[in-house]
Amino acid sequence: MTRSWSLVTSLCMILLLAGLLLKNGALLAVALPYLLFSLAPFWRSMEEPNLEVERRLQPQHLLGGQPCHMTLSIRNAGSDLEEVFLADVLPLGLQVEGDFTYHGVLRSAQTETILSILRGVRGKYEFSGFRVLANDLLGMRRHEKFVPSPATLAVLPAMERLWRLKISPRRTRVYTGAIRSRESGAGVEFFGTRAYVSGDPLRHLNWKAGARWDLLITNLFEQERVADVGIILDARSVAEARADGESLFEHSIRAAASLAEYFLREGNRVGLLIYGNMIEWTFPGYGKAQRARILSALAKAELGEHAVFKELEHLPTRLFPSESQIVLVSPILPEDVAMLRYLHALGYRVLVISPDPIVFEKRFLPVEEFTALAERIARMQRGATLSKLRRARVNVVEWDVTTPLHIPIKQAMVGIKRWSVG
Amino acid sequence: MVRWVKRLAAIANSIFLFAFSFYGHPGVAIIGGIINLVWAFDEKLAPRIRRLLRSWALMVNTAFLAYGVLSGGSSMLALFLAGGSLLAWNAGLFLERWRDPPVFIQYQYLRRIGVLSASGLLAGISAVALQGHLTLSFLSAFLLMLAAGFLWLRIISGVLKDRNLG
Repeated sequence: MTRSWSLVTSLCMILLLAGLLLKNGALLAVALPYLLFSLAPFWRSMEEPNLEVERRLQPQHLLGGQPCHMTLSIRNAGSDLEEVFLADVLPLGLQVEGDFTYHGVLRSAQTETILSILRGVRGKYEFSGFRVLANDLLGMRRHEKFVPSPATLAVLPAMERLWRLKISPRRTRVYTGAIRSRESGAGVEFFGTRAYVSGDPLRHLNWKAGARWDLLITNLFEQERVADVGIILDARSVAEARADGESLFEHSIRAAASLAEYFLREGNRVGLLIYGNMIEWTFPGYGKAQRARILSALAKAELGEHAVFKELEHLPTRLFPSESQIVLVSPILPEDVAMLRYLHALGYRVLVISPDPIVFEKRFLPVEEFTALAERIARMQRGATLSKLRRARVNVVEWDVTTPLHIPIKQAMVGIKRWSVG
Repeated sequence: MVRWVKRLAAIANSIFLFAFSFYGHPGVAIIGGIINLVWAFDEKLAPRIRRLLRSWALMVNTAFLAYGVLSGGSSMLALFLAGGSLLAWNAGLFLERWRDPPVFIQYQYLRRIGVLSASGLLAGISAVALQGHLTLSFLSAFLLMLAAGFLWLRIISGVLKDRNLG
């Protein structure tokens, strides 16, 4: 029953009681219309709504800014409903174009379809179901129900296409790929020479060297293979910079997604570790399925604040195959240097992609003397930290997040034939 | 359609209240009448105020008709005021839920509220007549009885049909 019914019934009761107490028949007569209105909900039976709701999201995974078409099919599997109001309980942060509610009549076995377009920022959105209100036409009786209709929409992080990012881990895998393996065999890059042995292809003979030493000399080529790449995304709140609603962490996610996409495209085995509130590990794998897994993990990545993970020292190095390539996406704090040195000492090749928090924050600060002074101090501190890393033979790419990531990578590669230091 | 029914019912309430003023309570009746006139054209008001006005108007009208009856006013006038108030109140409730109702829903609603209001009024008139406050000619009483019987039969058959289907 509704509040409206309570109001009419209360007025009816007051009139009836007053009529009986004052022995006034006219008051009793006047109470009769109220009495009929109070009894109206009992004249018709009203069953609980029995609705079947089907939710279709097309596509279920989308990139930020892309639209997702949601189709809702609502079927009345019960008796006729004179008035039904359905409201989709939408996850927070999702923008809806079109209608996500239904108000009207639903006859038995009638199906209604609602179309809407969803847009959202990076994240994972869980749909729970519908709130259903079924009224009689007089608005005196009401059934309230929740109809579950679970679904998940993942808005994946934006990516950019990278190319020519050369890495050279100490150990490669057996499959042919694009990373030079320091072993001779089938390949295209010159590796060395040795004396000809029977069975060597004649087209590999080095005639000039043979003429000099009066021997048959064969060229050797370096094998190109795939490698294990572990991407670590720094999701610690202490390393975050946020200004004017924009977050440096979102840029880090973009970089991690772009790197994962690049390394997987090159055929490598890629894993992802999100280091923040807890350790979220995406087991290494190959191909498109792994790409989807990594993007899905990045879609729900959140900043975390945990005493244990405040510094990088609890990084679980055993998750990464020995002597593999590690790519850390982090703004880098001075305390992180020791752990990165330790990783290098363990035999890992470490590449740091460091979104620049100083340039990021400076855009949102007023241009004044103190800002310039603060920037100089911060720049000196950051320069010292990165310098320590470089001395420890850790490759560092400083990234101004206002520019595409491939530009600082290209600049860092200039003059370096291969990132093979150490 | 329903909007106009609600407006007409609220205006009728004002007229009934103004009519009450001839029985010797002009001040209160006129204030009640003005409230009902505002209620008749409350579409421009904020939804919250509209809800408040609807409930208060029903309560004020009920209080006034009870007071009018107790102070010797016309029972018939009070009965029509009760019917009109309930009709306008419920129509307002319907319009709050249905912003732009389809015509067939409006017809369905009007049929239902019409039957309910008419039954209530007829039952009230019968009660007033039984108490001897209403003198009717034989033909009027007969027609009234026929109408009331027809309405009651409709309601009862509707209920039975509904129960059988359920």
